[in-house]
Amino acid sequence: MENLIELMGNSGLWMAFLGSALAAGLAGCGSAIGVGIAGQAAAGVITEDPSKFGKTLLLQALPGTQGIYGLLIGFLIWSKIGVFGTIVPVTIEQGLMLMLVGLPVGLVGLISAIYQGKASAASCGIIAKRPEEFGKGMIYPAMVETYAVLSLLASFLMLNGIKL
Amino acid sequence: MAIVKMKKATMIALQSEKNEILNDLQRFGYLQVVNLEERMEQGFEELQPDSDNEAVGRLEAKLSQVKYSIDFLGKFNTAKKPLFAQKVQVDETKRKEYLDNEEKLNEIYESCRSIDSRFTEIKSSETKLNNAIAQLTPWLALKEKLEEIGTTHNTNSILGFIASKYEDELSTAVKDEDLTAYLEKVGVEKENSYFMVIYHQTCEERISQLLKQVGWTKVTFSEYSGTPEENINRIKAEISNLENIKKELAKKAEAMVPESGFLEILYDLLSIEKDRRSVVKDFIKTDKTFMLQGWIPEKFADDMTKLLDGITDKYTISFEDPSEEDEIPVLLNNPKAVKPYEMITDLYSVPNAKGIDPNIFMAPFFVVFFGIMVTDAVYGILMSALTGYVLYKYKPQGGMKNMMWIMFFGGISTFFWGGIFGGWLGDLIKVKPWWFNPLDEPLKMLIFCLILGVIHLYTGYILQAYQNIKAGNFMDAIYDQVLWLMLLTGLMFLALPPLAAVGKYMAIVGAAGTVIFSARSEKNIFKRLISGVLALYNVSGFLGDVLSYSRLFALCLATGVIAQVFNAMGLMMGGSIIGKIIMIAFLAFAHVFNTALGVLGAYVHTSRLQYVEFFGKFYEGEGKPFNPLRIRTKYIQE
Repeated sequence: MENLIELMGNSGLWMAFLGSALAAGLAGCGSAIGVGIAGQAAAGVITEDPSKFGKTLLLQALPGTQGIYGLLIGFLIWSKIGVFGTIVPVTIEQGLMLMLVGLPVGLVGLISAIYQGKASAASCGIIAKRPEEFGKGMIYPAMVETYAVLSLLASFLMLNGIKL
Repeated sequence: MAIVKMKKATMIALQSEKNEILNDLQRFGYLQVVNLEERMEQGFEELQPDSDNEAVGRLEAKLSQVKYSIDFLGKFNTAKKPLFAQKVQVDETKRKEYLDNEEKLNEIYESCRSIDSRFTEIKSSETKLNNAIAQLTPWLALKEKLEEIGTTHNTNSILGFIASKYEDELSTAVKDEDLTAYLEKVGVEKENSYFMVIYHQTCEERISQLLKQVGWTKVTFSEYSGTPEENINRIKAEISNLENIKKELAKKAEAMVPESGFLEILYDLLSIEKDRRSVVKDFIKTDKTFMLQGWIPEKFADDMTKLLDGITDKYTISFEDPSEEDEIPVLLNNPKAVKPYEMITDLYSVPNAKGIDPNIFMAPFFVVFFGIMVTDAVYGILMSALTGYVLYKYKPQGGMKNMMWIMFFGGISTFFWGGIFGGWLGDLIKVKPWWFNPLDEPLKMLIFCLILGVIHLYTGYILQAYQNIKAGNFMDAIYDQVLWLMLLTGLMFLALPPLAAVGKYMAIVGAAGTVIFSARSEKNIFKRLISGVLALYNVSGFLGDVLSYSRLFALCLATGVIAQVFNAMGLMMGGSIIGKIIMIAFLAFAHVFNTALGVLGAYVHTSRLQYVEFFGKFYEGEGKPFNPLRIRTKYIQE
């Protein structure tokens, strides 16, 4: 352990990077899967009625926000440790904390985007059969997104508490 | 409140004046006819259900002709459709002229039909010809005339193909057995080899045996004469000829496209007439009179009497209040600014006549929440300017119009909240926030959002109390809402030192009241108290509801920080002049993208807060919207 710490030059910078990578990476993966799932269902609706493109596109976009939330936290971590300017020295403890900051938005983003994608896909069925109930179809995926929003908030508040 | 009071109108008039009366009632547009058939049983033998089915059927047939022609010509209309179609104005004489012009409709319909059927014919012959080409192509190299293939005095010639892998087997067999036969390989396609086999009739038996072994598939071209190549060229010429005919037909159809205007107007005129004649089936009649019943907003009752007076004096009409079991249709009467938000509520459920119309309470919260979730002054200006322009210039109708107004108000709110929290294209334009920057003081922002949430939820509880009082259950309002609000308020006061003492007593009174009264329908005193204690757990539900409003902060954060990320990325490019140009283009695109994203998120999440948190507290919905007999058009101005 002592050796490892020496190897890292007694700096927690890499852990901070890991945190931002988890946030942007996991949430991004989730969104990619979720948007993909919704897109498959949306394409099915379009084969029947191409005029519904706009509505299905909205539904497909809904699980895309998690990736953005993840990137957002990643970006805030980078700007905190000064990736865009001069790097700020980060202790091991601070680095660990910065890593944990990435976890809520990363993990919740990953899972919630997938399930939101599934809810969106189901809502595509509403658009196919009862297009007038489109508004209700938007709400079901949005219920899932609540938890992504809360995890974004959790990550942000954690990050805000870390003083470098 | 905002739900319009309805009266039930019952009218009897003369059959001979029915058409005129209906005509005027449709133009009047405030009477929803209800079906009287089930009321007939109450003992009048001479009453019959009325109907105008014959006319309705005739109109429907005509409408389907018009619709078919519009759709057919629409396929040939190359002009770009405007995003917001304007409705045309048609005066009275023209209306009559159009309706009477049955010949023109027939003419257009017949030519559409004939062009359409010609198209279908051509399509099927094209498929046939293409199949023939596919069949002939492998034989392209054959120089014989197809009609000469067959039997001569001593020889036979046949065409066919085998799988290429048996090719050697066949040729060696022919060679080894020294048969008087000649194999000509004409071509290869995919996995098959195509052969012409000529043989002397003496070895016919052996040849057919051999061919059978290698899986010979015989091909005959009995209907062709000339070489395969000649045939293919002839068929190709035929296809290109068909192409020309198709082009001519398309031209013919395109020449008729200007008639769409006539058809569209006719479509509306016929629909109006159909609507009017369809309601007759809800009437009942005697030989000379008919009777109708319908819902009418109370304030228009006098207008209806006046309208009837203008036509005839041979009628009777009475207006009565709705009874308990009536299902009253709902018409809302909200201020103009609140009207667009009815759409949001209707998406959830239409208000019912016995409950309350939530729109006027919901709309201000919607505007505020929408603004906080986007929070960028420039985005707000962008949204309002764009939607304002569209509203002014194109005058969209229906759902589109409502949506535009919602965005317009949302834009104004976004501008203000952007100013308050200092968001001007993210951090691109540095303006001191009018109040504070949520990124610097996140806790303050969070608490602010939760307070807004508490106000929203309290409004919901108060509306439920109002609903109880309106329904005559004054004590329910006290037991269920007032005590509950006392408990919640008391608990919240406990967190504020100067009010803690007051809060303590409020919470105790509220809690005790809830325990005692919440399950008051329960007879058993112990069960009642236990249910009461369990009701206290709803405090945690309330806590969850309040925390849900933290999404206001999270979405505000998302828009702001994404804008900052884009700015940082954009500014990295801004070195040389070319870099600056790319930077500006990138930033413009990025911020428009972020606005779209923010608006989508804000719309969805604001709606959710209304539907789940707010409506969950009091709203019943499930009403039937008021659907009067009126003039409904798609293309022409009413």
